[in-house]
Amino acid sequence: MTISRWARIAVATVLVALTVTPALAQDPPVRIGYAIARTGPWAAGSQVTQEPNYLLWAEQVNAAGGLNVQGKRRKVELIGFDDRSETDTVVRTFEKLMGSDKVDLILPPWGTGANFAVMPLIQKYGYPMLAPTATGRKLIEMKNPFFFALLQQPDRIMGALADFLAAKGAKTAAVIYVDELFGLETVGALETALKAKGIEIVDKKSYPLGVKDLSPVLRDFKAKNPDAFLGITYPPDTFLATAQAKEVGFNPKVFYVAVGSAFPVYKQRMGETIEGVTGIGTWNPKTGGPAKAYFDAHVAKFQKEPDRWASAHAWAGLQILQQSVEKVGLDRKAIRDHIAATEFETIVGKIRFKDGENVTTPGIVSQWQKGEFEVVWPTDRATAPALFPKPVWK
Amino acid sequence: MEIGRTLWLDLTLAGLITGGMYALVAVGLNLQYGLMRVMNIAHGEFLMVGAYLAYWAYTLTGVSPLLTLPAVFVALFLIGLLVFRLCFRRIARASPSVEVLEARSLLVGFGLMFLIQNGAYLAWGADLRGYEYLARPVEIAGARFGANRLVVFAFAVGVSLVLLALLRFTLFGKAVRAMMQSPRGAQLVGIDVGLLHPVVFGVGLALAGVAGALLSMIYEISPAMGEPYTVTALIVITLGGLGSAPGSLLGGLLLGLVETYGTHVSNPSMKMLLSYGVFVLVLILRPRGLFAR
Amino acid sequence: MSAARAVVATGAAALVLAAAPWLLSDFLLSLTVACLMYAGLAVSWAMFSGPTHYLSLATAAFFGLGAYVTAWGVATLPWALCVAGGGLVAAVFAALVGAAVLHLRGAYFAVLTFGLGELVRHAITYFEKSYFRTVGRVLTKTPDATTVYLTVLGVAAAAVAVAAVVRASRLGLALRGIGGDEERAQTLGVSTRRMKIAGFALSAFFAGAMGAAVAVRWTYIDPPAVFNPFIGLQTVLIAMVGGAATLGGPLASAVVFSLFTEFLRLRFPYAFLLVLGTLLIVLVLYLPGGLASLVERRRPAAAAGGAARGAGGPTRG
Repeated sequence: MTISRWARIAVATVLVALTVTPALAQDPPVRIGYAIARTGPWAAGSQVTQEPNYLLWAEQVNAAGGLNVQGKRRKVELIGFDDRSETDTVVRTFEKLMGSDKVDLILPPWGTGANFAVMPLIQKYGYPMLAPTATGRKLIEMKNPFFFALLQQPDRIMGALADFLAAKGAKTAAVIYVDELFGLETVGALETALKAKGIEIVDKKSYPLGVKDLSPVLRDFKAKNPDAFLGITYPPDTFLATAQAKEVGFNPKVFYVAVGSAFPVYKQRMGETIEGVTGIGTWNPKTGGPAKAYFDAHVAKFQKEPDRWASAHAWAGLQILQQSVEKVGLDRKAIRDHIAATEFETIVGKIRFKDGENVTTPGIVSQWQKGEFEVVWPTDRATAPALFPKPVWK
Repeated sequence: MEIGRTLWLDLTLAGLITGGMYALVAVGLNLQYGLMRVMNIAHGEFLMVGAYLAYWAYTLTGVSPLLTLPAVFVALFLIGLLVFRLCFRRIARASPSVEVLEARSLLVGFGLMFLIQNGAYLAWGADLRGYEYLARPVEIAGARFGANRLVVFAFAVGVSLVLLALLRFTLFGKAVRAMMQSPRGAQLVGIDVGLLHPVVFGVGLALAGVAGALLSMIYEISPAMGEPYTVTALIVITLGGLGSAPGSLLGGLLLGLVETYGTHVSNPSMKMLLSYGVFVLVLILRPRGLFAR
Repeated sequence: MSAARAVVATGAAALVLAAAPWLLSDFLLSLTVACLMYAGLAVSWAMFSGPTHYLSLATAAFFGLGAYVTAWGVATLPWALCVAGGGLVAAVFAALVGAAVLHLRGAYFAVLTFGLGELVRHAITYFEKSYFRTVGRVLTKTPDATTVYLTVLGVAAAAVAVAAVVRASRLGLALRGIGGDEERAQTLGVSTRRMKIAGFALSAFFAGAMGAAVAVRWTYIDPPAVFNPFIGLQTVLIAMVGGAATLGGPLASAVVFSLFTEFLRLRFPYAFLLVLGTLLIVLVLYLPGGLASLVERRRPAAAAGGAARGAGGPTRG
């Protein structure tokens, strides 16, 4: 009697297992690996602009049922590591992800230096990479077929700035720039662009990252009274230059600070002071339908706003990746070819790549007006007219 | 390039103000090293903690950082007592020589640095944060400066003078100076080392926290902000003469002046070159710093 | 262990490790490179700072100088020349600087060497900016990964071998004497100044050569990346944790430390430094003689210079 009872239990178990297992036997997740700065000097940038977007995107994709891989839905599994802002760690981690772990896709690290380090690897292992925080002619000149730079390059950004200044009738400018690759290259592009528009640079000073006092330079500039102040600056210096220009009473008609002006903390920290300050930005919640939804989702998840420049480019990169995988699946070479040949519709508008460079998004000048970083140039993308001259510091 | 008289004044004041900040950052470290030969390389991290405390107090409750200062002082003082008890006391007792003590406290300092920084990243995230306080300009002799910078300068000078007075005129101060000159001799005359060490260590940390709280009015804060300040503090106290309180004040002011004049005459890019160049030069000529005893 | 045996052992180990490029994955090979890099840096640091107790924080400066020699030369010079050149430039710099600053003691010396690292970094930034209108350099014509690995292995092995030889030599004796009681060494006829400079320069050579070899792995180098003070700090940390006065201590510590931190980093993607910092504090508090003292306790008589006991000598200031 016992045997047949056991036999019945066994048969029942097997039947249950057979019915349940097909549901459990799902497709394996799509593994997406990356190393990014969570500690160290690069972290302040990467944690505002880049990694939050990765996390938000994965969450949204999974909530919708998974990543669409040519019709089949598979969950996304993010495999992220801290690279401690160390180049060697970046190299090692990506070697692990691509070479040993053989993840399906990778996402880029933060910053030009780290992206340079990964360049030979993505070519060796054949992983396409869409980078939202890497700028520089030298990167593009490497002609790496797997690399796609999402940000506008310095010549475009400075071209737009020069056009804006010329349109407003500014004749003279004083420039400061940071002693970094970005600063040097951008200032070179700026000089070319300003010369073409006949705008004179009355003074030009460079400074090291981490400077604690720019007031001597700003006092000098004030004495020279240029129409425009153009700061090719990084976040800490952006804040410093703004605060100290107010301190010394330097009120040019245009006050432009490059990187950091698009960060929400700029608004939080400086409050009303920033009214009329211009800088690099690509978007704001008003630039188009999906922009507002993205903005709201970001705030809901992280209790902080995305920045008005590279964050959206990071999101656009993820959109491009998503659209490509939907079309051609997980064959990385096919993905690469698809990205290189297609024009995509993204949160910052159309994006098309030529030789690895985003050639459709123009250089943009944005301006803080009543608590929002409005796009003011070029006029066909503007969300508000420009305030010129900049109101006196409040 | 013409340098008129008002410009000289501008630069001098700006240099003194920057220098005052440097001196303020250094004063706590100097106290610890001077007394105990503990090179607290995590100094900047405690400064960072003080900065965050002031930031949160201001952002969440609107209380002025100047009013939060006593709370920051007390909080960091207590943390200092705890850190000393847990980490440094054992080393201080078990080290056979001063060099070994310095070496071991350096290692412990690194450990603390990692721990506190990573703790801050976990607790508060890597983003830059900041607030603006007392940023309105104030006119002095025709030049304009941010009120918050002047406040920091006033504190730097004030704290240094108070410290000097304490060391010189109070019994406590005499005990500390006796300990600095001769640890064994001090013990022989009955000075309680077991009490003095943690108290001085705690005060050193508290001063770091206060410096951080004040600086948070002017600059952004982030978990990584501490290290450059540790470096500055080390340079200042070495320049001024290790253990010399007037030395670190004057060393800081000197550094500020050199930087400001130097960058005006040449280029802000030269600022670092000048600072370190002057530092190296001074030590080559005066190996124990400018004002060493 | 006598110098001759140490050298032979090092050679044998190097031969075994030379097979790695054909056996290990890229990631594990990179990890081995990281271990070897710190092994070379820590052992060469301990060569000078161990016996003399002159705590040098200049490793970052030497490393960075070597890296820049490669950056400037790799496209035009043969590889061996870049690496040797990196070492030589660092050694010459150390000798010049040493002549000027090796009269400083204790914390002054430590902070000054740190300041030197920063000074070199800013000098190079300024120079590059002013003359070449660039800040970083892209290294495109680089040797392949196997060559780089074998170079790093070679530099590390050479550092260990030379350190073993120095320990047994007159220079080593002089350095230990300086560490024990510098004035006394002088009165006994040791030319302390020359010995210190020699030791400092020799230790710098390997740091420079290592920097020259490793830089090509990063494709793009700029001053903050190669003059990263953390490299110098980690070197000091490793050597001291291992026991700076011994030969095997820094070596073992480098391997353990590199592997352990990598394990921690991969295992705790968010809290790794927290764990590391806590362990470090615990280690110093409860094992103050460093890892080497673990071995030492079993063989107290054989410890030739001893672990970080630092006995003898009056207080230095």
